[in-house]
Amino acid sequence: MKNKRSKLCNCDNPFLNFTFCILILEFVLCCSASAAAADEKMTVIKGGDLYTITSGIIKNGTILIKDGKISGIGQNIDIPKDAEVIDAKGKVVMPGLVAATTLLMGLRSSGEINKIADSLDPFDFEFSLALASGVTTAFVTATPPRRRGMPSGENPIGGTNAVIKMAYGDLDNMLIKEPVAENVSISNRQWLGKTNFLLNLRKAKDYLQKLAEYQKARDKDKKLEEPKKPADLDPYIRLLRRELPARVEGATADDILAALELVDEFGIRIILEGCLEAWIVAQEIAKRDVSLIITPRDKQEPRKDISGPSGSTMANAAILKKAGVRFAIVPQGPYFGLGGMAGRDLMTLPMEAAFAVSGGLDEQTALEAITLTAAQILGVADRVGSLQVGKDADIIILDGHPFHYRSFVELTLINGKILYDKKQSTYFSHITHDN
Amino acid sequence: MAVKKNRIYILLCLSSVWLPSKSYGEEITAIKADRIDTVTSGLIENGVIVIRGGKISAIGADVKIPSTANIIDARDKTVFPGLVNPCSVVGLSGSPGGEPASHPHYRVADELYPFQDAYRRILQAGFTTLGLTPGGNGIAGQGAIVRPVGRTPEAMLITESGLLMIRFEANDKAKKVITDAFESAKKQTDSADPKVKPLVRALQGEIPTLVRCGGPGATMHLLPLLKPYEKMKWVLVAGPENYRIAEKLAKAKIPVVLPAQIDFEEFTRNRINVPKILAEAGVKIACVPIMDNAEGHEDFLRQMAELTKGGLDKETAKKSMTIYPAQMLALDYRLGSLEVGKDANLLILSADPLEVGAKIHQVMLEGKIVYRAP
Repeated sequence: MKNKRSKLCNCDNPFLNFTFCILILEFVLCCSASAAAADEKMTVIKGGDLYTITSGIIKNGTILIKDGKISGIGQNIDIPKDAEVIDAKGKVVMPGLVAATTLLMGLRSSGEINKIADSLDPFDFEFSLALASGVTTAFVTATPPRRRGMPSGENPIGGTNAVIKMAYGDLDNMLIKEPVAENVSISNRQWLGKTNFLLNLRKAKDYLQKLAEYQKARDKDKKLEEPKKPADLDPYIRLLRRELPARVEGATADDILAALELVDEFGIRIILEGCLEAWIVAQEIAKRDVSLIITPRDKQEPRKDISGPSGSTMANAAILKKAGVRFAIVPQGPYFGLGGMAGRDLMTLPMEAAFAVSGGLDEQTALEAITLTAAQILGVADRVGSLQVGKDADIIILDGHPFHYRSFVELTLINGKILYDKKQSTYFSHITHDN
Repeated sequence: MAVKKNRIYILLCLSSVWLPSKSYGEEITAIKADRIDTVTSGLIENGVIVIRGGKISAIGADVKIPSTANIIDARDKTVFPGLVNPCSVVGLSGSPGGEPASHPHYRVADELYPFQDAYRRILQAGFTTLGLTPGGNGIAGQGAIVRPVGRTPEAMLITESGLLMIRFEANDKAKKVITDAFESAKKQTDSADPKVKPLVRALQGEIPTLVRCGGPGATMHLLPLLKPYEKMKWVLVAGPENYRIAEKLAKAKIPVVLPAQIDFEEFTRNRINVPKILAEAGVKIACVPIMDNAEGHEDFLRQMAELTKGGLDKETAKKSMTIYPAQMLALDYRLGSLEVGKDANLLILSADPLEVGAKIHQVMLEGKIVYRAP
């Protein structure tokens, strides 16, 4: 194996080998991105098994792509004469994967980032790794969740976030939406932050109530004064008006129940991250409009100070599904990188979902958890997450089932343009399976 | 002892180096050289340059030498225009850093100190023009275009107006600072306010604007940001990775200042000649020393030679250190090539400047020999 690799790159150091490939890939990406821009021809993906997510698997199907969108999909579709045809015979064709959480991805700015759109670096090398991993859409935040290093403090809310596409080199086509949620950092163990959060939320609720009363009575009594908007409560007002959901970290059952209380008291929308004890309170979660982002391979021992069930189980996802809870799946390391432990970061996102299948979840739900459901939770399901007419042509072609450990992404398209080709990129082109 | 030495040095400077142009009168100098590289109109063999009042009055192979002329014999030598570094911070206070802000009223000219050894060494390295730029993020202030020698700060200045310096990083604050400043200046074109006037002049293209910007991603944020200001003549002072958007820069016709450096591709030891890539894409480039200090300037011709060895076209390499930076500073009517009417800023070298080992024998600044190699 080592010999083979050395021959390919004339280099004995496997790390250099890999990084050497990346540069070439970036060149390829750069060229293809600019070349495709002028090309208005229709693109057709022909002959693959289409994992549509929304309407099952279409065997030997065809996808038409026009102006970056899916314009047709099915088995008996006429292929326009001058179309550019991608032969996907024997391959798996599915929507690009959606990463519901990432850690400070693609942002380059030394200072504080208040607007992600203004700091995106389309040449960030993480985007090329994402494309090679089949991820085409990701949630990015300028202030990562507490678990990932955000200093806990008195201010439990703040920082912007966005959903972006991995359109390497193409700044104009990266941003889908900003912001998509309020970053909230509350935990029973961070009592001061949580106390402030509750105080502010009540203050904001008070204000909204008074405002509503004033608006009702305004016509009858012209002397009434409009209630003054309290300072610095805009994010809380957005939450109460349900304009944005709150992204809340909650690993344990008591954290989750505390978050559910917020839903009951204030009617806000909540996205819960972590949730390794969600299986314990699955029924409670299912009663409310709450979405989860889970990591099936997160492990934790049962707690000795709790009577009753605690700790993690590999059946977490399956139990949540049975209860009717909506969830997306992300890996432990929510980043694309060359360091760390292989198989635990976003470069192998399907492996995380496959582990949920090991724990009893059905394959369809597991696939949804890294495509459509993730897109729904992020609020961008109108654009991405499934193979449907009208959606963005963000498509990946794999040489096998996405949950098989041997499968690789062969082509990645964003807006109908090929931004990654395994054969040409040499990222993984030296990896072949002989039998 | 040290004080005494300094005094002697200052006296030497005063007496030998620089005289204001008024005193030239009709002093005539003629240089007879084997090779005169005009940069803009080819090589003249066995040529003559006649200099009157600090300016080139005649140049060519069959130029008559006036009988009153002092003759500089440069047989076996090559004459080349003085080098121009459009963007340097040598001899200036360090960058204040911090959040992006707008300080268009700040002038480098007010902190110039001529008697710094670095300037002497830079002049001896062949640089007759420097664009000195202020530090600071956002709109950093007004840079000065100077001769690296002079009795007083004023005597160093080549132009009164200088240039506008911006440092840009891709974030909302930097964008807001820049947009707010220009949008407000646009509405006060007659203002004499020192905080507004430089912006107005930059907007109208009366002074050049230099924008230092990190990677290609940041440049992609910068291009649309400055696009509305059509008359503005701005130059990108870029990091090495901008080769990724060479086509875009060429299309937008944005000139680029960059270090004369063979770089490495990210994560590899693959060498990459960024000036060559940009030039071949059609971008107008100006090369500056890799290190912005005296040593860097002394090493500059070797750095340029290495770029040409690595495939950068020689003609382009020569222009990228003379006429192109002069154009970027909007001083190409005075500097950057050997042409009739231009300042007699020139170098007398032992060989072609891009030949490794070429030695600078003499440096002439506006008609005066300001350096003779020992």
